[in-house]
Amino acid sequence: MSAFVLLFALAIVSLVIHKLSILKSISIVTLIASSALVLLHFSTPLSGFTSSAAIELFQVLLFTVISAVIISEDEHINITQTLFITAASVLLLESSTLLTFIISFEALSIISFVLVSNIKNAKQAEGAIKMFISGSIATAIIVLGLSMYLLEGHSLNALIDAKMSNFAIVGIWIIMMGLFYKLTIVPMHSWAADTYAQIKPSLAATLSGVVKTVVVVATFKIFSPFILNNITLSMPILALLALVTMTLGNFLALWQKSVGKILSYSSIAHAGYMLLAFVAIQSKYASTALLYMAVAYIFMQTSLFLLLDKLSDGRGDLSLDNLKGLYSKDKFASLIFSIELFSLAGIPLLAGFLGKAILVYAVVDVNLIFLALFTLLNSALSVGYYAWIIKHIYFDKAEGKNKISRVSNTALISQLILLSGTLYFGLFAYNIFEVAF
Amino acid sequence: MSYLSLIFAPIILSIFIYFFTKQTNNAKYIALALFTFMLYMSINIYMHLPETGYLLLSSFLHVEAFDFNLVLQVDRLSVIMLILTSVLLILVGLSSWSIEKQSAYFSLLIFFCGAIFGVFMSTNLMWFFIFWELTLIPMYFLIGIWGAEGRIYAAVKFFLYTHVASMLILLSFFLIYKQSGTFDMTLIKSGVLTTPALIWWLLFIGFSVKMPLFPFHTWLPDAHVQAPAPISVLLAGVLLKMGAYAMIRMLILILPLQAQKYAWAILLLGLISLLYAGFMALYETHLKKMVAYSSISHMGLVAIGISTLSYDGLSAGVYEMIGHAFIISPLFLIAGFLHHKTGSWQMRDMGGIMQRVPYISAIFVLAGLGALGLPGTMGFIGELSILLSAIGKYGVWLIVILLGSMLSAAYLIWTFRRVIYGEMSEVVKITDFKMPKAEFLSLIIFSIFIILFGIYPQALFDIINQAFSAYATSGGAL
Amino acid sequence: MNIPIIILIFLPFIGSVFTFIVGKIYKKSAFICAYIISIILFSLTVYICISFTQALSFDLEWFSFGNITLPFGIYIDELSLVMLLIATGLGALDIHFSHDYMADERDQARYYSKVLFFIGGMILLVSAKEMLGLFVGWEFMGLASYLLISFWHQNSSPADAGVSAFLYTKFGDIFLFASLGIIFYTTGTLDMIKLNELSSSGEINSQVAYVVSIFIFIAAIGKSGQFPLFPWLMRAMEGPTTVSALIHGATMVNSGIYIVARMFDFYVAAEALVVVAAVASLSAFIGATSALVQNEMKKVLAYSTMSHLSLAFIGLGAGSLAAGMTHLINHAIFKALLFLGAGAVILSAHHVKDLWRLGGLKNRLILVSIFMGMGVLSLSGIPIFSGFYSKDAIIASTLLNPETHGLISTLTIIAALLSIAYAGRLWTLIFVGKPRDEELHVSIKAPSKFWISLPLGVMATLTLALGVFQKELAEFITAEKYHELHVNGLFTFMMGVILVLGLIIYYFYVRRTDLRDKISAQPLMKSIHQILFNGYYIEMMINWFAKSIIVNAVAKSINWVEKNIVDAFINGVVTVTHLSFTFLKHTHSAKVSNQSGAMMLGLMMIVATVLIRSFL
Repeated sequence: MSAFVLLFALAIVSLVIHKLSILKSISIVTLIASSALVLLHFSTPLSGFTSSAAIELFQVLLFTVISAVIISEDEHINITQTLFITAASVLLLESSTLLTFIISFEALSIISFVLVSNIKNAKQAEGAIKMFISGSIATAIIVLGLSMYLLEGHSLNALIDAKMSNFAIVGIWIIMMGLFYKLTIVPMHSWAADTYAQIKPSLAATLSGVVKTVVVVATFKIFSPFILNNITLSMPILALLALVTMTLGNFLALWQKSVGKILSYSSIAHAGYMLLAFVAIQSKYASTALLYMAVAYIFMQTSLFLLLDKLSDGRGDLSLDNLKGLYSKDKFASLIFSIELFSLAGIPLLAGFLGKAILVYAVVDVNLIFLALFTLLNSALSVGYYAWIIKHIYFDKAEGKNKISRVSNTALISQLILLSGTLYFGLFAYNIFEVAF
Repeated sequence: MSYLSLIFAPIILSIFIYFFTKQTNNAKYIALALFTFMLYMSINIYMHLPETGYLLLSSFLHVEAFDFNLVLQVDRLSVIMLILTSVLLILVGLSSWSIEKQSAYFSLLIFFCGAIFGVFMSTNLMWFFIFWELTLIPMYFLIGIWGAEGRIYAAVKFFLYTHVASMLILLSFFLIYKQSGTFDMTLIKSGVLTTPALIWWLLFIGFSVKMPLFPFHTWLPDAHVQAPAPISVLLAGVLLKMGAYAMIRMLILILPLQAQKYAWAILLLGLISLLYAGFMALYETHLKKMVAYSSISHMGLVAIGISTLSYDGLSAGVYEMIGHAFIISPLFLIAGFLHHKTGSWQMRDMGGIMQRVPYISAIFVLAGLGALGLPGTMGFIGELSILLSAIGKYGVWLIVILLGSMLSAAYLIWTFRRVIYGEMSEVVKITDFKMPKAEFLSLIIFSIFIILFGIYPQALFDIINQAFSAYATSGGAL
Repeated sequence: MNIPIIILIFLPFIGSVFTFIVGKIYKKSAFICAYIISIILFSLTVYICISFTQALSFDLEWFSFGNITLPFGIYIDELSLVMLLIATGLGALDIHFSHDYMADERDQARYYSKVLFFIGGMILLVSAKEMLGLFVGWEFMGLASYLLISFWHQNSSPADAGVSAFLYTKFGDIFLFASLGIIFYTTGTLDMIKLNELSSSGEINSQVAYVVSIFIFIAAIGKSGQFPLFPWLMRAMEGPTTVSALIHGATMVNSGIYIVARMFDFYVAAEALVVVAAVASLSAFIGATSALVQNEMKKVLAYSTMSHLSLAFIGLGAGSLAAGMTHLINHAIFKALLFLGAGAVILSAHHVKDLWRLGGLKNRLILVSIFMGMGVLSLSGIPIFSGFYSKDAIIASTLLNPETHGLISTLTIIAALLSIAYAGRLWTLIFVGKPRDEELHVSIKAPSKFWISLPLGVMATLTLALGVFQKELAEFITAEKYHELHVNGLFTFMMGVILVLGLIIYYFYVRRTDLRDKISAQPLMKSIHQILFNGYYIEMMINWFAKSIIVNAVAKSINWVEKNIVDAFINGVVTVTHLSFTFLKHTHSAKVSNQSGAMMLGLMMIVATVLIRSFL
C-alpha cells in the first residue's frame, strides 16, 4: 500500500507543479522509489488489500512501463493522469475483496475517462465519447450484478463466496461481463476497436497496454476461485468467448489499412488469448501463463502505441502506406517496431512467444487440444497482418512525401526500456515461474 | 556456457552489424570470418564427441516448472549438420559478395547462422522450437528485401506457410511434455506417451512442410524463385535439411514404434514428391523453378531413404541430404546469375550460354549431371545407396524410384540443351556476363565437393555411419 | 595390386584433366599430350596382354554405408583384354587421325580431354569385376558420348543429337541400374563372375534371373543402338567423325554386347538368350534395310553399325559366345576403318557428307579408296577378310540352334546379305562413277599420308590379318577349344551373291542412273523408301510418345493439378480469410448505439445461458 500512498501523493502534488519541467524527473524518481518499496515489502497492511509475489513483480514491471510512458510523454497533464492511473492500478492489483476491487476498478475507469478527455480534435472526441458511453453501461452492468449478489445476502467485504445460489451466480457473471468491457472481450469490445485507433496513441498505450493488463491480472486474482468452482459452466462459456474474441480480432485486423486499427484489433485478439488462462484455470500453469502473457503484453503493446504516437506525431492516423520505406528513414524505429510486432505475433526469443506458448500449454494441460489448436492457428493467422506491416516497413520503397516523423532520442530511451522487457522475458522465464499468485 | 555463445554471439553481433557497419563493405568480411570460426568450432566439437550418445555442451536458464532449459547437446548427426551448415554459410557468403545493402544482408545472414546452430544443438524441444522459428525471421527479410519481382508474395507465403506448420509442431511438443513430463528429447520415453500416434502425425505434417514433401511443397518454388540466388542456396542447403533432420531426430529416434507403423506415409509422400516434382520440372520453362522442383524431387529421395528406418537407409538419406545441398546450390547460383544478367527467367530467352561463359556453364552441367545421378558425382552415390537400402526394406518394386532418375535426366538434359548449348539467343548475344571472382570461387568449391565426395564417398560415410551406429546396435532391427 | 593396371585405370582420367589444362595454356600441346597418353595406354595393354597368364582379379571396396558394403573390384580376363586392346588401340589410332581431322578446331583441349575421358570409361567398363564398376564405366562413356556428340554445341543439331543420345541411352541405363538393385537385393553380390557361377548352379531364382537379364539387355539395347532405341545412333553422326568412329562405331556401342558376353552363363541359365536373338534379328533387318537408302555416308555407316551389332547379339543369342565376340572385334576394326575412311573423305571434301554430291573420288583419294574398299569387303563378309568368318559362324549357329532356326536365322541371313548391297553402294557412290559436284570435286586434295592414311592402312591390314587368326581369337576369348561352325557352301554362295549384287549396284548406280530414278519414282517404292529412310519412323513414334504423352499429357496435367488444386488450395485460404473479413466486418459498427446494443445483447445471452444452465 505504501507504493499507492507515494504515487497518490505525487499525483496530487503534480496537479500543483504540473507547469514545472522537473515533473517528469520527479515522477520517474517516485516510480523508482515505489518499485523499491514494493521490492522491499515495505507495506502498510490495510484491510481488503493483500499482495503476493506475483502482484509485486507485476507492480514493479508496471512501474517500469509507466516510467517509459512518462519519459516519452510530452504533455504534463497526461503525466498527471498517468500517475493517477498508476496509483489506482496499484489499488486494483492489491485489492482482495469484491468491494475494494470494484471501487478500485471504478476509480481506474474514471481516471481513464479523464485521461482521454484531453481532446484535440473531433476524432479524438469521438473515441473518448465512445469509451465513456460504453464505460457507463459497463458500470451499470457491474452495479446490476453487484446488487443481485447482495440481494442473496452475500457480503461485499470478502472474497466471492464459494457456495452461492444460482441467482448470485448470475450476479457474478454479470459483474464479469461488466469487467469484460475493460478487457475488450467480445461482445463488449466494439468501443475498443474505435477508441484505441482514434485517441492519441500515447493515451491508447496507457489504456490498451497498461490499464487492460492490470484489469486482467486483478480480475484473475479475484475471480479465479469463482470460475474454478463453477468450472462446468464457466469453461465452455469462457472458451467460446475466448475463441470468438481472438478469431474476430485477428480476422478484422487482417485487411485494415490503418496501423492504429490493426493494433486495436490485435489488442482485442490478445484479450482473447488472455481469457484462455481463465478457461484453463484448472491447470497449475494457468496463473503463470496469465502473468507471463500480461507481462509480455504490457511491454509490447505499450511500446507499439508509443512508437505509433511518435511516428505519427501524436495524430495516430498512420496508414500502412505511410509506413512504406520507414526502414531507410529510421533504422532504430523500424527495428524496434518490427521486434515488438514479432513479439505480438508470437515469434520466439521474444516475450510474446513465451506468454502465448505457456497459455497454450495451460490449455493443452486441461486437455482442450482443439482449443489449443485453434489458438495456435489463430496466432499463425495473426502473423499475416504483423508480417504485412513489416513488409511495408522493410520491403517497400517510400512513395512521394512521407508524413512520418523521426523518433526523438528521449522517446528512444523509453522504447529501449520497453524493448529490453520484451527481450528479457523472451529469454529468462524463471522470474515469472518462481512467483505465485 | 561458452558454447552458448555459438548461438547468441552471432545473434548479438548481427544487431551490431545492422547498426554500425553503415555503407562500408566490412560486413562481409566479418561474416566470413565468423562462419569460418563456426566451421572451426563445429569441427572442434566433432573431435570431442564420444563414441556414441550425446556430448553435453552446456545447460542454461533452468526453469524447473516448465523444463524450459536451454540444453546444448550434440551427437554425430547434429555435428554433421553443423559442419554442413557452416560450410554452406561460407559459400553463401562468398557468393553474395556483390549484393546490395551489404550490412543489413550480412547481419541477417549472421543472425540466421546463430539460429540454425541453435536448431542443431539444442535437445530441449522448447528451445529447438524457438530456434526453428527464429530461422524464419532472417529468411523472411532476405527473401522480402533482396528478392525478385514477386518477392513479397513469396516471402509472406513462405513465412505463413511454414509458421502454420510450426504451430502443429509446437502443439505436439506440448502433448509430449504433458504426457512425458520432459522437453528433453534425449530423455523422452515413447512408452509413456498416451497419444503417440497423434503426436507422430502432427510432427510428420509439420516437418513435411519444411522438407518439403508433396502436397505441402508449394511455398518452396515461390520462395526459391523469388529469393536471391545465395538465399536459395541457404533454403535448399540448410532450411530444408532442418525438416529432414527433425524427421530423423523426432519421428524415428524418439517415436520408433510409431515410425515403424507409419513409415509408409513417409515413403508414400517421398515417392509422390519424387515423381510429381520430376514431372513438374519437366514441364517447367522457368529456369529457377525447374531447379526448385528438382530440389523437391531430391528431397523426396531423402524421405524415401529415411522411411526405411534402417541403418543403411538413414545413412543413405543423410548422405543424399549433403549431396543435395552441394548439387542443387550451384544450379541455383547459376540460374540466379543468368537471370541477373539476362533479365529473364525463361529458358527460351537463353541458349548458347556455353559460348559466352564456358566455365560457369560447365559447372552448371556438372551440377546438373550430379542431380541426375551420374556416377562420379555425389548424386549417384546418394541415389544408389538409397535405392539399395530401400529395396532392402520394401522389396524390389521400389525400383520405380528410378523413374525419378529418368525424369531428372530428361528435364536436366533438356535444360542444358535450351540454356547452355545451341545457338546464342539475341539476349545472350548482347549480355555482358561477368561474374565476381568470389562468386566464381564458391562455384568452384561446390564442384570440387560434388566430384570429391562422388569419387570418395567413404570420407563422408565414415562420419555418417558412426552417427547411426548406436541406432543400429540398439534398435538395429528397427 | 598390379601397377600397370592401376596406371591403366587412372591415367586416362588424370590425363584428361591434364590435357585440358595443358591444352588451355598452349593449344597444340593438347594433341601431343593426349597422343602420348593414348600410346602409353596401348603399350600398357599390350604389356598386360603379353604377361597374361591367368585372369587377374582384385577385390576392392568402394564405400560402405550402414550394413551395406559396395565393392569395386578389378577383373581382367581374356574377354576384357581383347576389349582393352580395341579400346586403347583404336583410341590411339583415332587420336592419331584426329591430328589432321581436328586441326582446324579451336577448342582442341576440350576435344582431346573428352576423348581420353571416354577411353578411361571404356577401360573401367571392361576391367570391372562388379556390376557397379561396370555401371560407372557405362555411364562415363555415356557422358563422354553425349559431350562429344554435342561437341559443336554452338549449332542446334549437334546439341539436339546430344540430347537424344543421352536420353535414349539413359532410358536403357535405368534398367541396368534397376537390375543392379535387384541383383544386390536377391543375391547380395554384384560380382559378375560369381553371378555366372551362381546362376549356372541354379542358386538364383530363375524368374529373377530372367527379369534381370531382360533389364540388362534393355540397357544393352540402348547403348548398342538396337531396336527400338537406335535413333540416337543415327543422330550421333552429328559429332566429329573421329568420335563416331571411336565411340559410335568401334567401342562404346560394343559395351552392350560386352555385358551380355560377360554375363553369358547368366543369360544361358536365365534362358533369355532367345530374346536377345529375336530383338537383335529384328534390329539387324531394320538396320540393314535402312542403310540401303541413306543419303549421308555417315548415316549409312551408322545403320550398318546397328545391323552389325545386331549380328553380334544374334551370335550370342544363338548360344555362341565365340561367334558373337569375334564378330564384335572384327566389326570394331572394320567399322573404325570405314568411319575414319569416311572421315578422310569428309575432310578432303570440305565437310560434305552427302553421297549424291560425291562420286568418282578414287583417282583423287587413291589410298583412302583402297583402304575403305578393304573395309567394305570385310564388312560385306567377303572371304579371306575377317568379316566373313564371323558372319559365317553366326549364321551357322543360328541355323544350328533350334530356337533361332527359322525366322531369326532368315532375318539374319537377309541382313548379312544386304550388308554387301549397302556397303557396295556406299563405296561405289563415293569413289566410282562421274563426279556429281564438279566444283567440289576439283577442290578435293589427297590428305596427309602419315596422319590420315596410316591409321587406315593399319586397320585395313588388321582386318585382313584377323581373317587368318579367327580361330585363335575365338579360342583366346572363350578360353576353350573352339569348334568352328561353318555353313557348307557359304563361301561359294557368298562369292556368287557378291558378283550378282556387285553387278546390280554397278548397273543401277553407275551405268543406268536413269533406270534407278524411274524405279524409285514409283509410289510404292517411294513410300518404302520413305519408311526405310526414316528408320521405320521409330524415332518419330518415340518422340511423339515422349512429347505428347509424357510431356504434354502427364506433365501438363500434373502442372494443372499443381496450379489449380495444390497451390490453389493454399491461395484459396487467403481468399477465404478475405471473405471472412468482409463478412465479419459487418459485426463492427462505428455507431455508439449499436455498440451499446451489442453489449446488452451479449450480456443477455450470457445471462440466459447461465440461467438456463443453472436452473435446469
